[in-house]
Amino acid sequence: MATNDHDGPPVLALDRVDVAYHGDIRILRGLSLEVRPSLITGIIGPNGAGKSTALRALYGLLKPVAGDVLIDGRAVTGLPPWKFIEHGIALVPQQRSLFNELSVEDNLRLACWSFRRDRRRIEEALERAYAQFPMLRDKRRDLAGSMSGGQQRFLELGRALALRPRVLLLDEPTAMIAPRVSADIYDFIAGLPAQGITVLLVDQNVRQCVRIAQHLYVLELGQNKVDGSAHAFQEDSGLRDLIAEWVDYRIDT
Amino acid sequence: MELLILNGLANGLIVGGIYALVGVSLTLLYGVLRVVNFAHGEFVIAGSFFAFVLFSTLKIPPLLAVPLAAVAFFAAGWLLYYVLIPRLARSDDPELMSFLMFYGVSIAAAALMLLLFEADSRSIDFTFTPISVQIGPIYISTARLVALAITIVISIALALFLFRTLPGKALRAAIMNPEAIQIMGVDIVRLSAFAFALASSLAGVTGVLVALVFPAFNPFSGAEYTIIAFIVVVLGGLGNPVGALLAGVVFGLAEQMATVFLPQALAQIVGFVILVGTIFLRPSGLLGTRFRR
Repeated sequence: MATNDHDGPPVLALDRVDVAYHGDIRILRGLSLEVRPSLITGIIGPNGAGKSTALRALYGLLKPVAGDVLIDGRAVTGLPPWKFIEHGIALVPQQRSLFNELSVEDNLRLACWSFRRDRRRIEEALERAYAQFPMLRDKRRDLAGSMSGGQQRFLELGRALALRPRVLLLDEPTAMIAPRVSADIYDFIAGLPAQGITVLLVDQNVRQCVRIAQHLYVLELGQNKVDGSAHAFQEDSGLRDLIAEWVDYRIDT
Repeated sequence: MELLILNGLANGLIVGGIYALVGVSLTLLYGVLRVVNFAHGEFVIAGSFFAFVLFSTLKIPPLLAVPLAAVAFFAAGWLLYYVLIPRLARSDDPELMSFLMFYGVSIAAAALMLLLFEADSRSIDFTFTPISVQIGPIYISTARLVALAITIVISIALALFLFRTLPGKALRAAIMNPEAIQIMGVDIVRLSAFAFALASSLAGVTGVLVALVFPAFNPFSGAEYTIIAFIVVVLGGLGNPVGALLAGVVFGLAEQMATVFLPQALAQIVGFVILVGTIFLRPSGLLGTRFRR
């Protein structure tokens, strides 16, 4: 991997973004972040810090009241969510994004909407998903909603990756997932940059996020608190304490 | 008595078919757009007047009016979507505004029809030969049988579209998970416009069939069909097209059989009894939903 990869312009960025609900309740205040190519960038922070909101703003699901969303350094603020896949940017949101009463295969086919007349590309995309998660091939005629939570998560990941995105945004990929499956999912995510896929990971699971990410953003009350390489976080005792505080907080709740 | 029951069953199926179409179009619209079209009944009656005008001015028979209404109402629905819906998005409370807006559209549409056609009840003078057909021991008017046949063809075509084609599946997917369908790269604005156009088209065609099945219609008949559509939509489960088709037939049969066994005045409240009963006993509709979101 060439080092200048990481120094290139961020593939995706927020520039001093404000997001408000109901007119005047600011959820994000002047938030800036950059997703650098071929890395895993993590966003952590306590509950209500605006992590998911930041991700939704990045993907056009929420419109900023101020600031810009940038793809490859170009402002695309206001770009609707359905345009992001054309830019090679895929999202696996926190809430279930499957169509429960459609089959596993139909869920995959719908992801091919933007090239729905190209039969060969669709077959390739299906093959890619099945090769990545062979379990999906066995279940391809089953309704998505009939699968277990972990299997559904793999279908969401397989579906997002079937289109060969260059960037994958993940929001709490292991929320409500059994711990053993959880570990598999993190190992899988950790391997994505080697396939040339840039990752932005929003997570409540600080321990795992710090383990697999190379760059971390810490949010608090909708603002940037600190950011830096994951390395620096592991060495700085002040930051370690900060993180430990949340981990305890999580265990208490 | 047996004759009456057979008649009730036959008419129940025919009327139920109409109710099914009225319901399925409203439920598709609700499912995708999450707005309740109070003007749906007026769209249906506009379809009846459409057939009436085509026949009385150009001698175009109702059978030919069906495809013409499908195209004309599809185009009108597409246009209307872009006139109405973007305005909702700018409101602070789009859901509440949608109620007021469609209630307004309903009043405006009824008033427009009143201006154009006056308050008299109308019917289309077209007659099929033979005028009725004997099936076993009962006679059924040819017009009603034709309407039933068209209803069945449309229902099958709609089911094939929704369950066998990718755009149809996208429409159902949008009902199941409106946010996720956007992440798939589907332009939700265009899909919603299509859903609105499709629902309007179905309403227009249903209106032509109403003109065939029922003796007369007037500009105020719309409200009746809006209420029927609501009952069918709730009975079938909100946003469930298959449920709506089934519920329409169940409701039609119940209503027509009620007229066999109950006095006329009592038979009319059967629909409301079914509606209230469904809300109490099976709030998610006849078929229910298999999975929670």
